[in-house]
Amino acid sequence: MARFVIFSLRRAWQGFWRNALMSLAATATMVLMLLLLAGFWIINTGLLAGLEYTESKVNVIAYLTDTITDSQLLDLTDRVEAMPEVETVNHVNREEALQAFRDRRGAQNEEDLTQFLASNPFHASLEIALVDASLYSTVRNRLVGEPVVERVINQRDLVDSLLTVTGFLQTAGAIVLIVIGVIVLFIIVNTIRLAVVARAEEIEIMRLVGASDGFIRWPFVFEGALVGLLGAAFALGILAVASDQLGRFMFDFFRVLPLQLGTLTRDVTTLVLATGVGLGVVGSWVSVRTYLIR
Amino acid sequence: MPADRASAPAAGDRALRRLPGEQPPPATTDIRPSLRDRLLGRARAEPRADRAVLVLHDVSKRFPNGKVALRDVDLTIPEGDFVFLVGPSGAGKSTLIKLLIRDEMATRGEVVLDGQDLARLPRRQVPKIRRKIGIVFQDFKLLPKKSVWENVAFALEVTGTPGRRVRPAVDRVLSLVGLTAQARQLPSQLSGGEQQRTAIARALVHDPRLIIADEPTGNLDPLISWEIIQLLLRINELGVTVLMATHNADVVTALRKRVIALEEGRVIRDEVGGTYHRTD
Repeated sequence: MARFVIFSLRRAWQGFWRNALMSLAATATMVLMLLLLAGFWIINTGLLAGLEYTESKVNVIAYLTDTITDSQLLDLTDRVEAMPEVETVNHVNREEALQAFRDRRGAQNEEDLTQFLASNPFHASLEIALVDASLYSTVRNRLVGEPVVERVINQRDLVDSLLTVTGFLQTAGAIVLIVIGVIVLFIIVNTIRLAVVARAEEIEIMRLVGASDGFIRWPFVFEGALVGLLGAAFALGILAVASDQLGRFMFDFFRVLPLQLGTLTRDVTTLVLATGVGLGVVGSWVSVRTYLIR
Repeated sequence: MPADRASAPAAGDRALRRLPGEQPPPATTDIRPSLRDRLLGRARAEPRADRAVLVLHDVSKRFPNGKVALRDVDLTIPEGDFVFLVGPSGAGKSTLIKLLIRDEMATRGEVVLDGQDLARLPRRQVPKIRRKIGIVFQDFKLLPKKSVWENVAFALEVTGTPGRRVRPAVDRVLSLVGLTAQARQLPSQLSGGEQQRTAIARALVHDPRLIIADEPTGNLDPLISWEIIQLLLRINELGVTVLMATHNADVVTALRKRVIALEEGRVIRDEVGGTYHRTD
C-alpha cells in the first residue's frame, strides 16, 4: 500500500513536469477560475453583510405624544424592551430630534430653516431595533394600542421589499456560484483530458503489461490534485497581495461593515483550496476513466 | 507466484543450460529463485504438452457495428508450442489477439487461458491474467523518454513489484535478449532490431506463460527479422509458449512449425510443420 502511494505520487510529480506546458496551462486555468469563484464569493458575502446591516437598521419608530411624563416614558421603554422581538430601544427626545435634523441639513449644505420656528416641531420617539425584520407587524400592533404613542411609522413596505431583495440575492448568488462551479469543472476536465490523451500511449502499455486500474488511475488523480493545489496556492497568493485594495474597495462600496474579515479570509481559503483540489481530483478521475479496463 | 514454478534447479544444471552468448549469472547472494532460474526450471520440469496454455472453443466475435471478425474458432495451444498465426489483413488475427488479452470479449464461445475462462474472469482479475501474457507489437510501443532499462522496469513498477526485485529481474531479461550494454540508451538511439528486443525483454519480465507477438518483424529488414525470430525460438526453448502473427512467408515456411491460417474469421488450416501458403 505504501509502495503504491509512493509510486503514484512519484509518477504524478513526474507526469506533471514531463508535460510541463500542459500542466501549467491547466494550473493557469485553475487559477483564473478560482479567482473568479473567490471574487464572486467575496462580493456576495459583502453584499449580504451590507444587506444584513441595513436590515438590522430597520427600526420601528414610535412617535410619542408631547405630553408624556418621565414615568410613563420609563414604563413604556421597560415594556417594549421586555418584548422578545425587540433587540434594542433607543429614546430620542425632542431636542435630539431637532439636532439630528439640523445635522443632516448641514451635511447637505442646506440652509437651516428651523431657527426661524417659534417652537420645536419634532416629536420625541422610541427607535426600536428588532431581532428580525419580519417581526415588524407584531411589534407595531402592540405599540399602536399604547395611549402615549401618537403614531407608529409604517415601514412595512420598506421591510418587505428589503426582505425580498435579500432573499433574491441569496438564491441568485447560490445559483451563480453553482453555475461557475460547473463551468470550472468542464474546463478543468477538458484541460486534464488533454494531459491524459498526451500520455495515452503510456496508459496503453500499462494496461498491456497488466497494471491494475489503481496504478493507472491514481497517478493522474494525484496529478490533478497537484494542479488544484498549485492553482489554489497561486489564487490565494494573488488574493493576499490584493487584499488591502480589496478591503478598501469593500469598505467603500458596501459602506459597512460588521463584516468579519477573519471569517471571510478563512471561508475564502477553504473554498479555494477545496474547490481547487476537488476539481482537480474529479477532473482526473473522469478523464482517465475511458482508459481503464472495459 | 505459483509455488510449482519457484523451484530452483541445481547450480550445475544451471551452468549446463546456459545459452551461447548469454552472460554468466552474476555472483549474487540473493536466495530467491531468479526469473532465469525459473525459466530454466520450467524448461526442465515443463512444458507439459498435455496441458493447454490456451483453448478457444467455438469462439465467435461480432462487433457492435455488425461486422463479424471471428466465426466458430476452435484452437488448442499446448504448453511449449511455437505457433504461427497467418492470414491476410482483416482475417481476424488482431481480433483474436485482442480476445486473448481480454481487450475484447468473445460474443460466443469460450476463451480459456491458463485454465481460466476469460468471460467469467472478474474485472479486477484482468490485470493479473495479462501478466501471464507477454505481448510484442510491430511498432514496439516503447516509451521514448525512458531508457531501455526503464522501459523494461516500467512493466514491473506499474504492477506493484517491490523495488528490490525489479533490478535483478530487469538485468536478467536484458542479458537474455543481449541488451545489457545498451541498457542506458533511449529507444531513439537503438536500431529497429534492438528496439524490438527491448520490447521482448519487457514482455518477458513478468515471466509469462505465453508470448504473443503481433507482426514482430513487420518493421524490420530480413536479416534483423531472423535475429528476432531466433530470439523468440530461444525463448520458446526456455519453455515459454509463443504465438506469432506474421506475414513473413519465408520465416513461416523455413521453420516448419505449427501454422494456423485464418481467413474471413475462420480457421482454414491448422497443421504442424506447415508453410505460409497452402501446399496442396
